[in-house]
Amino acid sequence: MKSLKNRTSLLLLPSMLFLLLPLYGMVAAIHQSFSVNNQWTLQNYIQLLESERFVASTIFSLKTSLAATLISLVIGLLLTRYFYTFLERNTPRLMVWLPMLFPHFVWGYMVILVLSETGVVSQMLQAAGWISSSSEFPVWTRDSQGIGIIITYVWKEVPFVILMLLPVYSSIKSEYHDLVKTLGGNRWHRFKTVEWPHILPVFIETFLIVFSFTLAAYEVPALLGTTFPEMLSVLSYDWFYGSSWDDRPLAFAAMVLLSLGVILLTAAAYLFLNKKRWKAMRGRST
Amino acid sequence: MSTKKTTFLLLASVLFIAPALILVLQSLSKTWRFQAGEGFTFSLNSYQTLLSDPNLWTATFWSFTVGSGVLIVNLIIGILTGKALAILSFKGKSWVEVLLLTPILIPVLATAMGLHLFMIRAGLADTAAGVMLIHLVPTIPYSIKIFHNSYNQMGRLMLEQPAILGASPVRQLFTVELPLMKPAVRSVTFLTIVISLSQYAITAIIGGGRIITLPMVFYPFLDTANASIMAAFSVWFAALPLLMYVMVELLMRFLPYSQTLRRNRT
Repeated sequence: MKSLKNRTSLLLLPSMLFLLLPLYGMVAAIHQSFSVNNQWTLQNYIQLLESERFVASTIFSLKTSLAATLISLVIGLLLTRYFYTFLERNTPRLMVWLPMLFPHFVWGYMVILVLSETGVVSQMLQAAGWISSSSEFPVWTRDSQGIGIIITYVWKEVPFVILMLLPVYSSIKSEYHDLVKTLGGNRWHRFKTVEWPHILPVFIETFLIVFSFTLAAYEVPALLGTTFPEMLSVLSYDWFYGSSWDDRPLAFAAMVLLSLGVILLTAAAYLFLNKKRWKAMRGRST
Repeated sequence: MSTKKTTFLLLASVLFIAPALILVLQSLSKTWRFQAGEGFTFSLNSYQTLLSDPNLWTATFWSFTVGSGVLIVNLIIGILTGKALAILSFKGKSWVEVLLLTPILIPVLATAMGLHLFMIRAGLADTAAGVMLIHLVPTIPYSIKIFHNSYNQMGRLMLEQPAILGASPVRQLFTVELPLMKPAVRSVTFLTIVISLSQYAITAIIGGGRIITLPMVFYPFLDTANASIMAAFSVWFAALPLLMYVMVELLMRFLPYSQTLRRNRT
């Protein structure tokens, strides 16, 4: 069996080659963020942190994507928790996953079609006489609060959260629930002592995936955002592709800072999870 | 019908079915103006306008080509890595798993910008191959995860049996593993195509405006086309994953133990 194992590790080779792609990209981005005219410098970062546009954009991005991520996770968790027995069946599951068939920006267009000032909902309210003109409908798309971006992401990510959480919920043995019930625990105790420890690793992983995606994706904010404040991705893309090549290093610096943040967050999350797992194992052995 | 079931159906219909239905209905109707009493008027004009645009067809061709290429590489890397992760146990395996997840955590925009110069030097910028390579970054981690789960479910015994009986790895794959992993292949097909279709920024950076995929046409359309045409375009986006799904499904008919086309030959 030893030779089988040695041969098996060769199977990892293609994915390790694949990892060179993002690794090289990252190293090249870092390299270019520290250089002006082929000279090593911190100038790009200083210029970046002094730029009001960048600071405003960072705060706006963090707020928007944190809101979108937390709302998606809570709604996705509630839906999975209450309906997982249905969701194990095919038709209900396909119903929930229907939005995943569309790209994010198409879903963003759907939000414009339905919820813009002249959208379907506004039209229906006018037809029903609840509001007299489209100007009375709240500005939910292309707004400066990021509401349109948040709505699109939540709508699109809830099915993804369900996709991630459903297998975990299905695998929780009902005996655990019975135990808590026998000991007089209520619904909240059941969630806290049985479900939460089970789902925590996947919950954190889902948070990381959704948060880092919504923080740095370009497509939806380009469609549903305004020019100020704008998401970091839109700003960096502008700097990278804008009229002046001088701004390119700024795009690299912004993206490097963003990546660094995501990497630190990921490392912290996995160290936390490993510590928890280690504690749990030690608890079991003594 | 229990109240729980009714609540679920109601919620799912409003949240997930209705939006897709609205897109389909708007694409089949003239642009709605309910407040003026102009509701659903059946019309196929939107599709006529959309499909008569030559840009749409080139974009569809490129999206399909790029998507197929990305899918094939995803299947290969996903299956190999998934199998390795399911069989092997070594120190630091959980960190390798995190490492394989990082390409979707690190902004793909950063990766694309960083790779841009390399792609130019390697002659891959402005080519379909370059776009395929960059589309691998946000897709491969998902495929590895899906196949890893699938191999785990199959279990070690199922994997060792054909190996002990002396089947070559390729034969193991086609006679035992793939027939048991059809659901995983379906999920990977869907996810990969949809993610590939969703990339505007990184396609623009690496494709340099030469490789025009569907998103490249979608954004400019927004400024000119009416709601009806945009809805038709949106529906068109869902058609490509479905087409790919049907093709993969037909290909999977050639696997052993499928109902038609191929009997169990030995």
